[in-house]
Amino acid sequence: MSSNIRTLIATGVALVAMAAPAFSQGRGPAGPKPPEGPTPRTADGKPDLSGLWERPYTPDMSAFGRNQSPDPSLPDDPKPKANPNARAKKVLPFTALGKKEWDAYDAANGDYTGSCMPFGLTRSINSPDPLQIMQNPKYIGFLFEQNTWFHLARIGGTHPDPRKMTPTWFGDSIAKWDGDTLVVDTIGFNGRTRLDTIGHPNSAKMHVIEKYTRTDLGHIQYEMTIDDPVTYTKPWKNVRTFTLRPDWQIMEYSCEENNKDFFEGHIKATQDPNNASGVK
Amino acid sequence: MKTKMILSAAGLLLSVALPMLAHHSFAAEFDDTKKVTLKGSVVKVDWMNPHIWLYVDAKDDSGKAVRWQCEGGPPNTLTRNGWTRDALKEGDQVTIDGFMAKDGTHTCNARSVTLPSGQKVFAGTNTDEVKESK
Repeated sequence: MSSNIRTLIATGVALVAMAAPAFSQGRGPAGPKPPEGPTPRTADGKPDLSGLWERPYTPDMSAFGRNQSPDPSLPDDPKPKANPNARAKKVLPFTALGKKEWDAYDAANGDYTGSCMPFGLTRSINSPDPLQIMQNPKYIGFLFEQNTWFHLARIGGTHPDPRKMTPTWFGDSIAKWDGDTLVVDTIGFNGRTRLDTIGHPNSAKMHVIEKYTRTDLGHIQYEMTIDDPVTYTKPWKNVRTFTLRPDWQIMEYSCEENNKDFFEGHIKATQDPNNASGVK
Repeated sequence: MKTKMILSAAGLLLSVALPMLAHHSFAAEFDDTKKVTLKGSVVKVDWMNPHIWLYVDAKDDSGKAVRWQCEGGPPNTLTRNGWTRDALKEGDQVTIDGFMAKDGTHTCNARSVTLPSGQKVFAGTNTDEVKESK
């Protein structure tokens, strides 16, 4: 066996070893076993969602992955012949406008997050970095490590008159308890975001319903429903499991600190800063 | 033929285990069809958000030293996986396997960084099973 062949074999083995964890564990090494115990509760008897949570990175809400699943009621998306190792996916129920926008989207022409603009609610929930949840009887606070953003939902109450709302990246969120599940209802988006890293579109008419159920001490069952009649013909959801990480602390994440990708022009920010989603 | 098969297997693995970029789409900046292998000397490491950057002097085909800059994982995730900025120091000889930027500059996304001992530096944070491009 020549030394070149040996080198190639060694390279192949190294690549297998390098790539194998990606299939079995997703991102990085598996964490310690989460703490066991019953669902903790606050003084008023409600489930306590507080904690630092590891969430499955969800760059494509139509795809299956570890601890995440797209809407089972949607039709299967056949795997491309050129990539038999691709993840199993579902077909999202695009409207004609939504399909047109999705087909035309190419991140190489611009991704608003490349310039560290706010991800918006759905893409922040989909981000890989941990999420700190803080809670009192009036508010639930979501502290995203991703770019050190936060978002609050008011527990109880109603949305302002939509005609008088100022559209925002994260929208206006109200929450209510449905038994032991906290349901967070959000409207008032600015339509400048993408749902996920791969770039699924959405409009300013989007309505997002999230359900948080702390099933035990170490886990939250999470469900996100996208209700956007401009972009999708019917509401569809994505479900996943969050895992408590008491061994972690939330860390600062300044996206602007050294964003060479953008500073040096390797990445374009967006096609249209007023309409990054492409859908009105 | 055996050589081609091994290269093919290696290429397939690289193609399905693309770097994870959380703060923007991989496809927005890098070309998953343009692989690059760099052997060179570490000039410095930027240990900052949103991603670390490695600067390496590597010789091109004519033997001339070319300064490359390669994006690595997010420092927060690297820290949680036990890595520190001291894992590499100026003058360390490394091999970087990665993907080139679409704009043709000497910029890459580092898929792996390997020391002469074979040790992978900053491993376990810059990969995901997801090929998040359409």
